[in-house]
Amino acid sequence: MTEQFEPRIVGFLCNWCSYAGADLAGTSKLKIPSSLTPIRVMCSSRIDPVLILTALLQGADGVLIAGCHPGDCHYNEGNYYARRRFAVLKKVVDSLGLESDRLCLSWVSASEGQRFAEVVNEFNEKIKKMGQNPMKKKML
Amino acid sequence: MNRKIGVYICECGPNIAEKIDIDKVIEAVTSLNDIVTVERYKLLCSEAGKNYLTEQIKKHSLTHLVVAACSPRDHQLTFMEVCENAKINPYLFQLANIREQCAWVTDNKEEATKKAIRLTKAAIARVRCHSPLEKKEIESNPDILIIGGGIAGIEASLQLAHSNRKIYLVEKNSFLGGLIKNFEKKYPEMQPCSASILQKIETIKKISNIKIFTDSEVQEILGFFGNFEVKVKNKKEKDIESFNVGAVVFATGSSLFDINKNPQYGYGKFDNVLTSLEFEQMNLSKKIVLKNNKTPKSVAIIYCVGRTDKGYCSEICCMYSIKFVRYLKDNIPDIKIVNFYSDLCIPGKSHQKFYEQTQGENIDFIRAENIDITKKGEQLNISYDDETNRKKNCIVDMVILSPALEPSVDAAKLAEFTGVPLGDGDFFAEEHEKLNPVSTSTQGVFIAGCAQGPKSISDTIIQAEAVTGKILSSLIPGKKIEPEVKVSQISESFCIGCKTCLDICSYGAITFDEMNKISVVNEVICRGCGNCVAACPSGAITLKHFTFNQIYEELKEAVQ
Ligand SMILES: Cc1cc2nc3c(=O)[nH]c(=O)nc-3n(C[C@H](O)[C@H](O)[C@H](O)COP(=O)(O)OP(=O)(O)OC[C@H]3O[C@@H](n4cnc5c(N)ncnc54)[C@H](O)[C@@H]3O)c2cc1C
Ligand code: SF4
Ligand code: SF4
Ligand code: SF4
Ligand code: FES
Repeated sequence: MTEQFEPRIVGFLCNWCSYAGADLAGTSKLKIPSSLTPIRVMCSSRIDPVLILTALLQGADGVLIAGCHPGDCHYNEGNYYARRRFAVLKKVVDSLGLESDRLCLSWVSASEGQRFAEVVNEFNEKIKKMGQNPMKKKML
Repeated sequence: MNRKIGVYICECGPNIAEKIDIDKVIEAVTSLNDIVTVERYKLLCSEAGKNYLTEQIKKHSLTHLVVAACSPRDHQLTFMEVCENAKINPYLFQLANIREQCAWVTDNKEEATKKAIRLTKAAIARVRCHSPLEKKEIESNPDILIIGGGIAGIEASLQLAHSNRKIYLVEKNSFLGGLIKNFEKKYPEMQPCSASILQKIETIKKISNIKIFTDSEVQEILGFFGNFEVKVKNKKEKDIESFNVGAVVFATGSSLFDINKNPQYGYGKFDNVLTSLEFEQMNLSKKIVLKNNKTPKSVAIIYCVGRTDKGYCSEICCMYSIKFVRYLKDNIPDIKIVNFYSDLCIPGKSHQKFYEQTQGENIDFIRAENIDITKKGEQLNISYDDETNRKKNCIVDMVILSPALEPSVDAAKLAEFTGVPLGDGDFFAEEHEKLNPVSTSTQGVFIAGCAQGPKSISDTIIQAEAVTGKILSSLIPGKKIEPEVKVSQISESFCIGCKTCLDICSYGAITFDEMNKISVVNEVICRGCGNCVAACPSGAITLKHFTFNQIYEELKEAVQ
């Protein structure tokens, strides 16, 4: 099974930096695993823990949250809030017995198409090794 | 409501058509609920494409539109306009990005097609829970309040007045001109400075649409971009004047670091120890003399005073200290000058030359640390550690201290009652160091000159010009202001009045309604980041167009 395992990764991308970075990866014709489905939000700070947990419970094998580099958030400090919430959430996810390694927070600027591709590829490899989200099996 | 969703997939010439099996995508979504029609088209953003979409919307009486094409950063607005023209609310539209983030990043056509199906389904699921949003328009006042009558405030006033704007220029002192009124010349070109600013002040006084308030302070600024209510108090006559403006400029400049905090320099204790500003004034009055009225034979200039206390380099002190060497040599050709610096900061295309041309006989530059000044007879003894860490001494007639610049004493007060945050060194914080260097997080409030950080006269003028440009292009007479529509909303019944959201919002868009004990979003100020939504412990806040449901629907399709 693991050989044909095709992960499903949800990518929450902030409009101003990471979504633009992902677009640049496209215009630069870089390769990005099709396992990633991007969801555009205005700022990484919009992504509340409930959304991330919902993604996991819905069977996402990985959840990526990408925002502007620290200090560069279009709304000043949104990404600092995102970072703090993410740190807390990881602990909660662990204590619930879910795998916090399925979550990834990363900073990608509008000019970092290459970096976006690297982040997604790396995360995709990691998720492939981890295998399917056990929640998915439970649901089936 | 009976939804009628039309889905249009763009071929983008070969860009999408070659990478994605569009017919498979059509097949996959045609039978979904509410779908009236699914079509493919060559180039949707072309004039023909837009006309085609408009006709389709009318022909099928569509209520919602989904386009699968390029990035929303490219053509979201194009298609929203099509919706508007075809009389459907532009927010009942969703764009699936199957080009940049699908066709162009996926080699395998089958995989790309599957992903395109997921993205299109997600867009359809999302658009089903979209709500129409209405554009708001508010009348704006094109007048401008400028606080601070230094070169920053004067330049901004002059330029804005040239564009026929009404300006209210408020200065706390009894005279305009700020610091530079004291300088005979300005580095690096050594052109007259005080004389030229006095001339500008005369010009400004004659311009009828600039109203100048001296000896005055701003007491209150309420409202938002386009509509600020201002109260200005005359400190002498004690009367208060109120008026409305659309934008505010903070040009409150800076003051010198308080040297009394560094007693090792003997300032205030010994005669003939001056601050740089006192020396500028002495030079301007053409009487460079000691307390006993004699001409000094030797002078030491101490750079970087207070830099360690402040924790930043003030950018201009090295340069103006070098200017002092010029002043001194011009007035007293055989004077001996010793410059004690810690790091010479001479950036910029003409500054190095200025420094090199200021070298010569009886001019020493010494890198020193641990400077201590004591009295030695009529003279001053400077003890210091040189570059090799050896204790040395130097005896001079006069000492000039070049202290750091710090924000004007009133900056903190102004920051407090306007909610504009202070940043590094307690100078006003720009909205974004790189993207928006003269805006603040409060829309319609701008910063120019040393209020934003220590800088030269030319950099100050550049900022005043930038502010002018920003204001002229955003606050246009007769043009209504369109605030963001995708804003947050707080549900009265869910809010528990915990006030968490008040601190979270960087823009001060949320206030507390003491009567009802709930928080309220000011929709005109909210920028729609969604931070408060994620912070609210009781799920009381919704961000329009990025609601939980809308994102949830997208998410569900994404994991299929
Ligand atoms: C000794 C010295 C020499 C210098 N020499 C040079 C030089 O040769 N060349 C060069 O390029 N730069 C030089 N500079 C830098 C130069 O002084 C600044 O670039 C310039 O003064 C900045 O102008 P500004 O209008 O921002 O601030 P300021 O000149 O500080 O003016 C601010 C004005 O705002 C007023 N104000 C403050 N708070 C309020 C309030 N709350 N309400 C109303 N009014 C208020 C102040 O009274 C003042 O009039 C020198 C600086 C110093 C200290
Ligand atoms: S709408 Fe976008 S995808 Fe379609 S033709 Fe225009 S640029 Fe290409
Ligand atoms: S955080 Fe939520 S519950 Fe607390 S005051 Fe704000 S809206 Fe109300
Ligand atoms: S969405 Fe952002 S800008 Fe609007 S009220 Fe919330 S935190 Fe403030
Ligand atoms: S806008 Fe990119 S993280 Fe806030």
